[in-house]
Amino acid sequence: MQTINMLTWWQWAILAAVLPAIVLLYFLKLKRRPVEVPSTYLWHRSIEDLHVNTIWQRLRRNLLLFLQILLLILAMLAVLRPGWRGTALTGDRFIFLIDNSASMRATDVEPSRLEEAKRQARLLIDEMESGDVAMVVSFADTPKIEEMFTDNRRRLRQAVDDIQATERPTSLLEALKVASGLANPGRTADDVTDVQVAEPLPATLLIFSDGKFANASGFALGNLDAVYKPIGNPESVNLGVTTFSVRRNEARPEQLQAFAQVQNFSAKTAEISLELRLDGKMINADRFQLAGEEARGVTFDLGAFDSGILQLTATTGDDLAVDDVAWAVVNPPRRARALLVTPGVEPLEFALSTSAAMELADLTVQTPSYLDQEAYRQQAAMGGYDLVIYDRCQPKQMPQANTLWIGVLPPVGDWKAEPKVSAPQIIDTDPAHPLMQWLNLGNVLVAEGAPLGAPSGGTVLIDSHVGPLFAVAPRGRFEDAVLGFVFLGNEAGGGGGQDVFIGTNWPIRASFPLFVLNVLQYLGGGQTSLGGEALRPGQPVLLESASPARRLEVRTPSAQIVRLEPSAEGKASFTGTGQLGVYDVRIDGKDDRHFAVNLFQASESDIRPVSDIRIGHVDVAAQTGWETARREMWRVLLLAGLVVLGVEWYTYNRRVSW
Amino acid sequence: MSSASSLLSPELLARLERLELVSRKIFRGRMKGERRSRRKGQSVEFADFRSYVHGDDLRFLDWNTYARLDRLFLKMFLEEEDLHFYALVDASASMDFGEPTKFAYARQLAAALGFVGLVRGDRVKIETLGQANREPAPVLRGRRSLWRMLEYLDGLEPGANVPLAQGIKSFCVRNSGKGIVVLISDLMEKSGYEPALRYLLAQDMDIYVIHLLSVEEIEPELQGDLRLIDCEDGDVAEITVSGPLLTRYKQTLAAFINSAREFCTRRGMVYLPARNDVPVEQLITGYLRERGLVR
Repeated sequence: MQTINMLTWWQWAILAAVLPAIVLLYFLKLKRRPVEVPSTYLWHRSIEDLHVNTIWQRLRRNLLLFLQILLLILAMLAVLRPGWRGTALTGDRFIFLIDNSASMRATDVEPSRLEEAKRQARLLIDEMESGDVAMVVSFADTPKIEEMFTDNRRRLRQAVDDIQATERPTSLLEALKVASGLANPGRTADDVTDVQVAEPLPATLLIFSDGKFANASGFALGNLDAVYKPIGNPESVNLGVTTFSVRRNEARPEQLQAFAQVQNFSAKTAEISLELRLDGKMINADRFQLAGEEARGVTFDLGAFDSGILQLTATTGDDLAVDDVAWAVVNPPRRARALLVTPGVEPLEFALSTSAAMELADLTVQTPSYLDQEAYRQQAAMGGYDLVIYDRCQPKQMPQANTLWIGVLPPVGDWKAEPKVSAPQIIDTDPAHPLMQWLNLGNVLVAEGAPLGAPSGGTVLIDSHVGPLFAVAPRGRFEDAVLGFVFLGNEAGGGGGQDVFIGTNWPIRASFPLFVLNVLQYLGGGQTSLGGEALRPGQPVLLESASPARRLEVRTPSAQIVRLEPSAEGKASFTGTGQLGVYDVRIDGKDDRHFAVNLFQASESDIRPVSDIRIGHVDVAAQTGWETARREMWRVLLLAGLVVLGVEWYTYNRRVSW
Repeated sequence: MSSASSLLSPELLARLERLELVSRKIFRGRMKGERRSRRKGQSVEFADFRSYVHGDDLRFLDWNTYARLDRLFLKMFLEEEDLHFYALVDASASMDFGEPTKFAYARQLAAALGFVGLVRGDRVKIETLGQANREPAPVLRGRRSLWRMLEYLDGLEPGANVPLAQGIKSFCVRNSGKGIVVLISDLMEKSGYEPALRYLLAQDMDIYVIHLLSVEEIEPELQGDLRLIDCEDGDVAEITVSGPLLTRYKQTLAAFINSAREFCTRRGMVYLPARNDVPVEQLITGYLRERGLVR
């Protein structure tokens, strides 16, 4: 409690003189109402007794005098301007931005960073003056408006209390855009030509965060006054798993390997022990020292297995638990659905029916007349095939599938073919492309081929001295591969019959079955069954089912079943990936496959709070202590004085005596 | 006529007619009245015999007894005599308060008592204190004088600020006869009412003191800071009305009434407190009857 003297000594003297003046005036009592009475005889005798202690009696019995003195004292106190240091909330509009990303789960402040942020926000809400409005926004990778602008402090506190921790990464920019909506109206943050239509309402932006987000460089604060309140202990310790994946052993492809990376996000050396579990059973462990600021990769040999869920647990005793566990899944390989439309091509059919090829794909062979049937059109349009091979025949419409064209061009796209040339010499291949890997085409002869012109974005895979003979080009999310020569050709023979000629000796070379397997794996999609890509929390995932599923469901790590509405192609997008862990995809009630969502975000794992953040071109420094400001109470005192005045007026008029 | 009826209503007159004034002492009236005196005198009603002494009226000798016993006896008859009734009304300014004013009330009371006297053939004289300075009050006798009495009463005005003692002294000097005197006053005398009453005591009259107070005096309805001005002498009392002060005032008033009562009863005077909100009729037929002034 402090006071500020607003008056000089002589002003005080005058003010102090008012008090005795009131008492004096009271005794003088200039305003007594005269009343004529029959006789003052009895009155004199009555007041004689009371005269004995008159002064004190008068003081004690006069409410008005006391009220006047009280009024004067209140006025004097108000002039003294008593106040105390309080945290200041300057302004009348506030936006509370509360970070609830994964790093806010850190327990380096008790009980957690999010709880600390909520506690500080609640304190400031309590400091709000009446008439102030505030808005509560929580943000991780996406912002969520917990409460719109209101002056109802109870609702604001409730909104802050309701904020839940997430396991998502952080993005301040989105939250800033939400917050600036009213402060900088009619203007998008990135379009300065936008016309301002509404009155801007400046607001104070209070950011409660650990600052672990990318600086919002593309944002102009405008009428927002940003205040950054860092939450967290700079001495916090965290070790996190930043990568965990399963891959095939390069030397022995049937063997699987798990690769993990752990990183120490503090300056001190820490001991870490890793446990690897496959479907809940521990299969490997490791323990080592990790120096400060260092990362280390760890490889685990897993042997051969078809499917399973791998969980890597790091026991570290650090401040953030969510990044100490990582998951990877190995899904059972899914066989591609392949359609071969051909008038008859024995070498290819033979190569496609080897046991290795059968493992990769489920092959259907049809004649070109099948292309006109309704069954084909439906399957092709719905994406019923993963791969369609057109051998010397052309459909009217492109299928929703990857395609391989042999001796013909796709009916759409900018594919071009020059007139056929006899005996083109293969001069180059592209071994880096998955379709061409491990192929040696040096001993392959081609009888005749038409040099191809691939559309833009295409890749030439086999080049000859006359031009490309094999090329692949994307078409939407599919790829079309076109072979400029045939394996078996028909030509009009003698007697009106059809003679078959052999277009190339490739089928009898060792590279041919490998090529077929490459086609099935790459174009048929057989490769994708392994680990799947690493998903980040909040990232949408596209789920496919082999056939148009009647029921497509996802079971989240918290055993919640989310039912999806698959499209006609059996595809559905799942966005509820906010939790870390393994998600089960269920088709018609049966587990089909799994995918894992991992944090793997160094910015979230590095939980040391950032002291300064930068928004647009403005550096926002951390405010560890709030701006102290005087909380004054002279208004309250004056108000109390007014109340006293009212009571006095009432007393005077009603002649209240006591 | 109208003013007369305002003092005494026909109903009240009818009730008063049945009453008579009573004196506890033997008085010598100047004229024969309707009152049987304890003195022996001249009337038709025989009372007793007594021996003749020189100077006795020979007309009352019982000659028959003399003839038989040869001794002179005097026949004595019951004397019927009149009663002197004085109503003494305090006409000071302090009596001009209240609703009705104490003076009006006192006038009404005097009229009622005077009427009772007149009806019984008593000698009635109604005076205000300080009468000496004015015309002497008429002496009334007989029912026919009722209107004179009422007229006279109507003509009385308050405001004669004569000290109580001086007014009574003057009354006593002018009226030496015996009889009943009824003093109607508020007794609000700064120098005390006791000397005044002592003058009355010396007259050896049958004294009734009707202590008349207004409701405003008994239960004052005052509030705030006041400057009380005495209407008689302009004396000022500054008071701040509060609960304790009012309590104190009531205690003082009660003590005042008690001391007056005690003073009177010790000296054989009849003391009767009265308040102006009690109808005169009720006072006379109730309280005064109880105290023996009327019968």
